[in-house]
Amino acid sequence: MKIRFWGTRGSFAMSGREFLRYGGNTTSVELVNAAGQRLLIDLGTGATELGKQLMAGEFGKGQGTLPILLSHTHLDHIQGLPFFTPFFIKGNQIRILGAAPSMTSLESTLQNQLAPHYSPLNGLENLAAGVSIDTITPGETITLPGFEVRTAAVPHGSMWTTAFRITADGKTVTYLSDVEYASVDEPLEVAVELARDADLLIHDAMHADHDYDLRRGWGHSPARAGVIVAERAGAKKLALFHHSPDATDEMIDEVVARTAARTSVPVFAAAEGEYLEI
Amino acid sequence: MQITFWGVRGSYPVPGAATVRYGGQTSCVEARSASGETVIVDAGTGLRALGNKLLRAATAPGHYHILLSHVHWDHIQGLPFFSPVYVAGTRISIYGLLTAADELHQVIGGITRHEFFPMALESVPAQFEFHEVNPGIEFEVGSFRVMPIALNHPFGSVGYRLDCDGTAWAYISDTAPFDQVLHKQHFLKGPEPLSQVDRSALSVMREALIQKLAGVDTVVYDTHFTPDEYERFPHYGHSTPDQALEVCVAAKVRRLVLYHHAPSHSDEQMDRIAAEYLAKGALVGIEVLTSFEGMTLPIGAATDAGAKPVDRPPGGAGAGGREEAGKGPS
Repeated sequence: MKIRFWGTRGSFAMSGREFLRYGGNTTSVELVNAAGQRLLIDLGTGATELGKQLMAGEFGKGQGTLPILLSHTHLDHIQGLPFFTPFFIKGNQIRILGAAPSMTSLESTLQNQLAPHYSPLNGLENLAAGVSIDTITPGETITLPGFEVRTAAVPHGSMWTTAFRITADGKTVTYLSDVEYASVDEPLEVAVELARDADLLIHDAMHADHDYDLRRGWGHSPARAGVIVAERAGAKKLALFHHSPDATDEMIDEVVARTAARTSVPVFAAAEGEYLEI
Repeated sequence: MQITFWGVRGSYPVPGAATVRYGGQTSCVEARSASGETVIVDAGTGLRALGNKLLRAATAPGHYHILLSHVHWDHIQGLPFFSPVYVAGTRISIYGLLTAADELHQVIGGITRHEFFPMALESVPAQFEFHEVNPGIEFEVGSFRVMPIALNHPFGSVGYRLDCDGTAWAYISDTAPFDQVLHKQHFLKGPEPLSQVDRSALSVMREALIQKLAGVDTVVYDTHFTPDEYERFPHYGHSTPDQALEVCVAAKVRRLVLYHHAPSHSDEQMDRIAAEYLAKGALVGIEVLTSFEGMTLPIGAATDAGAKPVDRPPGGAGAGGREEAGKGPS
């Protein structure tokens, strides 16, 4: 299985020279299995660039199929949706899977994003591709072509997001973004279980450890939270993810160095760039 | 009066190596009077860095005025990241067109529904006030006189003429030209045939725009598309530099600033567009500049010859306020 980070930034897309190495686009992660089947997690601004590249293949001919998992519908995870080009080609089949936000449905949330005052697209029905919206119940296991996905609800401030454990070709990637545990030292058991023996754990690392006290309760983790989950779960590698918009490349380098010094689990910061073999 | 560009991009923010010079953030321009009063036009992602700058300079909670051209995401999504929003005592006056049948406060409040953002604008420390604007009806914001101008964009948008310190500039974005497509209150799959009534509505809109631009020194104009791109997407509600130039010639303005660059335009493409239209403008006696993040222009005065898109040092207008953690949830 291969992985490519198209967007690693949390909250807000950051342009400028000091964000070039880790990238300024908001969250979007692509997984490709050995058979070439694809899965996308989250539709931040990073998805727009993937969308353009997909057009060179079957998506440009209206023959592409793609499942997209949404961890939740905060804007930094969906703001690429109206600009993801495969949606505009008739024949493409795109399936969006995510949990319903509280007190509303996933479909009406996405419709609201495309409501006429906010977007000239004026509703999901104007996307030329076949788009289906599947509401998932966190805790369930989903079978997608070429991928098996276990899901779990994890706390994110006053709400819940969906975490994913994705297995293909005998390899496992766990996506735990936008999560904050009641105690960093005692991460939620369900999160640890989702990361159990994973080949790669992608974990929310919005805050540098020394910044965390000021931002406790905002729904994001300090870098060391991912270390604790990875160590307890026996994950083989840890990717720090959902970088703060205030974190320049140099600041992220420093977080990686400090985090790596405290654990024997190999650690890196997720960066926009090439495909990585899991 | 001077203006500073904090976001020059249309549609969505485009980080990356291809946009470091012109900038990747979406629509936001700051106008500043000689006495230091500020009016902000549009609240795209450029607003974040502007907010951090204003907050650093503030000695007390401020009263900020934000004029909105319309409420498409690229013109409002900076608002929850405007750091003064999280400072008690701050007042924020929002001026906008009532579109798509919603109350303005509902539309703006809707961008921070719990599905989209962790903190509702209704519950932030700053106090919001909403003012509906009407094309052709002038109002005052401090010592700025503000004239809203109807534009041709899906579900409507307004431009603004701002007069202050004995000079004037105008913000004309987002708009399609006034001859091929009339945007109304419905979705256009493609260009629709124009009726006689439509043609007349377009003509009235164009005439009013040209009339309102009379005597304006600098016009910032939606030039999202190159002519080739426009041919493919005439119903998207944006213009080309040629169409902007044509309006500016008719209105006899001194300077045109290209703005709302397509997200796909790299710095190299923007350099080519800038050179091409600087030359075209010279032929008709109009100075044509191409906006970039961090560009400051004195209104009613000669352009600083050094105003070129360069790699900005960290902490500049385009840097996103890295030295400022900002306040509130992010």
